[in-house]
Amino acid sequence: MNAEHTHAPRLEVRGLSHAYALKTVLDAVDLTLEAGRVLALVGPSGCGKTTLLHLCAGLLTRQSGTLANGFRRPAVMFQQPRLLPWKTTRDNIAIGLKAAGVQRGERLARADAIGQTVGLDALALGQFPHALSGGMQSRAALARALVLAPDLLLMDEPFAALDIGLKGQLHRLLLEHQAERGLAVLMITHDLMEAIRLADTVLVMAAEPGRIVHRFTLPTPARRRDDAAVYRTTAELLQVPAVRASFGLEAAAAGISDGSVLPLHATPHAGDAPAAPRKKGHSC
Amino acid sequence: MNLLRAWLGGIPAYLWSGWGAVASLFLLFAAWEGASAVYGALILPDPATVFATLAGLIESGAAWPELAVTARRALTGLALAIAAGSVLGMLAGVSLTASMMARPLVTVLLGTPPIAWLVLAMLWFGASDGTPVFTVFVACFPVIFVGALQGTRTLDSHLKDMAAVFRLPARMKLFDLYLPHVVSYLFPAWITALGTAWKVVVMAELLSSADGVGAALAVSRSHLDTAATLAWISAVVGSLLAVEYLLLEPIKRELERWRQNER
Repeated sequence: MNAEHTHAPRLEVRGLSHAYALKTVLDAVDLTLEAGRVLALVGPSGCGKTTLLHLCAGLLTRQSGTLANGFRRPAVMFQQPRLLPWKTTRDNIAIGLKAAGVQRGERLARADAIGQTVGLDALALGQFPHALSGGMQSRAALARALVLAPDLLLMDEPFAALDIGLKGQLHRLLLEHQAERGLAVLMITHDLMEAIRLADTVLVMAAEPGRIVHRFTLPTPARRRDDAAVYRTTAELLQVPAVRASFGLEAAAAGISDGSVLPLHATPHAGDAPAAPRKKGHSC
Repeated sequence: MNLLRAWLGGIPAYLWSGWGAVASLFLLFAAWEGASAVYGALILPDPATVFATLAGLIESGAAWPELAVTARRALTGLALAIAAGSVLGMLAGVSLTASMMARPLVTVLLGTPPIAWLVLAMLWFGASDGTPVFTVFVACFPVIFVGALQGTRTLDSHLKDMAAVFRLPARMKLFDLYLPHVVSYLFPAWITALGTAWKVVVMAELLSSADGVGAALAVSRSHLDTAATLAWISAVVGSLLAVEYLLLEPIKRELERWRQNER
């Protein structure tokens, strides 16, 4: 939109408010997303996360506040895969390229290449979406966004419906791609741990009206965080009163603040288990 | 081209799958034969006589010209209705206001009996081709319009958002987003309209024209020739069955391949 997008584009939101009829869903939200950074918006259902994302994606008209999006090639990954049922997976992945006027041969080749990267084989690429499992459809939706080589990726709880293994695979894929391309990601999730696994900055939102109640920046790059660090950070973040209030959790009890929040997790790395979160490891 | 190849290739298997339909048709013939035995040949001639009469009509060269005239009128009216109904229906479906305004108008059109339109058409167009063509058009238009309207309105808003986000240009929105969805509503509407066209054209001809199957029916009625009447009816119904099951149904199957799990 403006002239400064030639170097270091950024998404800047200042005092953004939004209302449906008389109900205020967003109240004076501020956030900044720099190129190559991952920003996660966490909050309970109904706190206006999706509205905020739709505003950033241009699907809703801005009512008040400012929203400057300097990124030139934004892409969106929705909560549901939203593949066109009458197109094969390959054609679905290539749809953004087709819209951009890329020739058929080239766009299909690029769709195939990115499809392979996210783990879709030739058979799956030739099938209609109804023949794919939920996980495959999510991969296709991720591929459809990544094939555009976006500089900004907006994601609306993209992995919410997936099992833990698939989620892990797609997280890894996303982080690899993000690190390689210097992609900026604005991600919405209600899963605190997912946010801490992927993001550089976590913004916690509260509902009624939707607003940001806590900001948290992670010091280690996402690719160098291990499970233990993620669990520990999650547990720490869950101690913050504003975060607990936003999710409607009761105020932290004494036992919880001791760090025994996650007794069910088996030890992923023997000594570094979440059962001993106070032990300062290699990260944080 | 692919569609044509698929259509041709699909015919043998498709015909083979039609044995069930053929069996039910033969059941109808059997009932017909039984009724004719009860009521006598003047009231209801048996199928063999009727088909012999039809064969006679075809051999004498009397049948084809009449059928051709009727088919021309029916298909002209239908084509106009398909063109206008599909386009206007989709346009109305895009806008909420337009669809709300269109609804009662469509109900009025659907509720007006074709015979009423026929009387008006006779006043406006006289004995020309215009009368049956207009009547067919008016009878088919609302059916197709509603199909297109419903199809457009029911497109998932999630997919529309997706199209907006991926910046699909208007042409792609039409061909890759709306049309494939709307077609699954339009096609059944077209098939219903085809049946309506065939019925209405014969009625219109019976009352207003000097040629065509309807006119031939009027003649056979005045001669009290039940066999010829039934022969003409069989010819009309037979040609409708042929168009619907040999042409439209296979195309529909091909277009909706993405819905099916098999194949």
